[in-house]
Amino acid sequence: MIGSKILLVDDEVVFTKNMAKLLTNRGYIVTEVNSGDSAIRALEEKDFDVVVLDLKMPGMDGITTLKEIKKLGLFTETLILTGHGSIDTALEAIKLGAYDYLTKPCEIDELVAKIESAWQKKDGEVKKDMHEKIQKVVESPHDVFDLFPQKK
Amino acid sequence: MESQKTINKDSNETSLAERQKKYYSHLFRKFVLLTVLCSLVPLLLVGWGISVYYTGFAKDRMMNSLRTEVEHHKRIIELFLAEHSSKLHLIAHSHSKGYLTQIANLNDIFEMINRDYWAITDLGIIDADGRHLAYIGPYDLMSKNYSQAFWFKEVMEKDLYISDMFMGFRKDPHFVIAVSRLENGSKWILRATINTEVFRSLVENVRIGKTGEVYLLNRQGIFQTTPRFQGNIMQAASYPIEAIYKGMRVKILKKKNGFPNERRPRQITCETWLENPKWLLVVKQNYSEAFNDVNHANYATLIFLHLSALTILLVAILSTRHMISAIKKRDHESDQLGKQLMQAGKLAAIGQLSAGVAHEINNPLAIVLTERQLLLDAAARHPIQCSEFEKQFKDSMNQIDVQVQRCKRITQNLLRFSRRTESVLETVDINQFIKEIIELMEREARASGIKFFVELDQALPALISDPSQLQQVFLNIITNAIDAHDAKPYGSIRIKTQVDQAHDGVTITFEDSGSGIAPENLVKIFDPFFTTKSVGKGTGLGLSICYSIMKQLGGNISVRSELDTGTEFVLFIPNRPPMELEKDMAMHEAS
Repeated sequence: MIGSKILLVDDEVVFTKNMAKLLTNRGYIVTEVNSGDSAIRALEEKDFDVVVLDLKMPGMDGITTLKEIKKLGLFTETLILTGHGSIDTALEAIKLGAYDYLTKPCEIDELVAKIESAWQKKDGEVKKDMHEKIQKVVESPHDVFDLFPQKK
Repeated sequence: MESQKTINKDSNETSLAERQKKYYSHLFRKFVLLTVLCSLVPLLLVGWGISVYYTGFAKDRMMNSLRTEVEHHKRIIELFLAEHSSKLHLIAHSHSKGYLTQIANLNDIFEMINRDYWAITDLGIIDADGRHLAYIGPYDLMSKNYSQAFWFKEVMEKDLYISDMFMGFRKDPHFVIAVSRLENGSKWILRATINTEVFRSLVENVRIGKTGEVYLLNRQGIFQTTPRFQGNIMQAASYPIEAIYKGMRVKILKKKNGFPNERRPRQITCETWLENPKWLLVVKQNYSEAFNDVNHANYATLIFLHLSALTILLVAILSTRHMISAIKKRDHESDQLGKQLMQAGKLAAIGQLSAGVAHEINNPLAIVLTERQLLLDAAARHPIQCSEFEKQFKDSMNQIDVQVQRCKRITQNLLRFSRRTESVLETVDINQFIKEIIELMEREARASGIKFFVELDQALPALISDPSQLQQVFLNIITNAIDAHDAKPYGSIRIKTQVDQAHDGVTITFEDSGSGIAPENLVKIFDPFFTTKSVGKGTGLGLSICYSIMKQLGGNISVRSELDTGTEFVLFIPNRPPMELEKDMAMHEAS
């Protein structure tokens, strides 16, 4: 989806820089960071539709970062992009809530396809959530401030 | 040159084999020696103990028997002399000199004494001056005067006197028993000469074995009877006589001590002094004869010991040979296991390294791909004006993509090698599987002039295994077999399946008619990155992956090859994979 907000997390600066350019060229709004800590801070500050996360990073690794992301409770889908290609780690990531995984090196079109389907899943979940909330507002309008606390 | 070898044999291990041979020989000798020592020492101790005890016991019995014999003979001789002394004493004291000097009366008495046996040769009455008053006997002794005779002097002092053997007037060895009586103030003597033959036969006729002899000696060491072997009556013995003692003495005479001048074997003697006269009764026998039974028993024991020792030696050799053979087998198995562990360890280490390398390569490859894509994006936005440059640009971009994909394949192979590919366990029909793979490869094989010959065992059971990994192994081996025919215009690949009931699995044989593998390469073909293919054609990981896959599935892979003739790979796949793999699979499925 053009205009989707993508957070690229990889310790390879050149890779994130290049990938950001490629994704920007394809109409995405890309933020690039080079560590797990930076990714968490970025997610706390801004909304993102899809996070593209490397598994093997110095400091906070991909799995820990994913756990932290899940703790934030955001409507953000995470794609694992790893050069390691370990099915064990990838399976663990999916078990922790990652949407899918890709192994490096991968074609840009392949990544875009995965981002798109991740975005669709995220969009579906957002819509579903919104629908549930509207239903609740319809059923009990006085609870509207409980459902949208940030607007209170 | 015969170069057929199995993977388990190393052609460069001749010196090792020699060392092992020496080691086993040393071990063999050591074990045999130990077994023999441990068995023989107690046997010898027991044998020696029994022999010593039995010999002592038998010797004691033999000596006691000899003592009894001597005691018996002593009693007989003493009884004989006592009997005749008593008779003479009785005659002298129951008859007067006057009566006895009557020849007729003396003759009656003489005959009466000799009624049972001729023990007395002659009988005489002698007055205090030594003159013969009466005489009955075969000799003419009436005129003889005994006043100077040694026995006359002795008997005049004592009532009874038994003389030693002497020659006397008759010039023949004899001895006398004389009794004296004081009658009406004057002494007279009744003298009897003992029949020497009778007395000698009493002593000399006693036979003790083949070498035994009995004889008498007086205090001066003069034979009183004739010994059976060396010496004669009235001759001096060739050894010194001990002083008179009580009781009995048993001696073992060694040649040196007993008979320094004679060649006699070792002898055992038993001696005792008679009461009257003081004669030494000697019973003698050769030691070897006396202890014949003991010697026999000792010989028998010795033969038994030798036979036992021989048996022990034989048993020790046989049992040690059996043991060494078992140790050799164990060592061989352990060696094989060690080699397999080493190979597995090597592969595991390289696997870890490969995973790291793959990751490190994948990152720059990803960057290369993104750079290429950026250039392509830029080119799309700003078309290249120069057609020649545009063509070169596109060619280069394509080549970058091709080479990146090639690198990607290599890294994927590396990762697969490091066993990090996902496995799925399913029921596999190996025969059907082989058919499908042949279908897949037939076109390529035909292009190289290679024919497949398949011999499938219809009784093959369905296996539980990983079809994707098995497919990779089969494809690898068949691809290698096809590549092995590069130098040949045509060839064949024979695939045979068989049930391996002994190991509860299936054996698959791939036999090709290719160029074969050189012996020096044969031992390295399962090592990662080892390849004989040209650069770019083979990564050297195929057979390493096959090896690790087969081990992971609980199977085995072995190879035999003959240069210029062909290669044979034999795979063993168990009916079920190892439990650990099944557990791992179950965990993956659960996740």
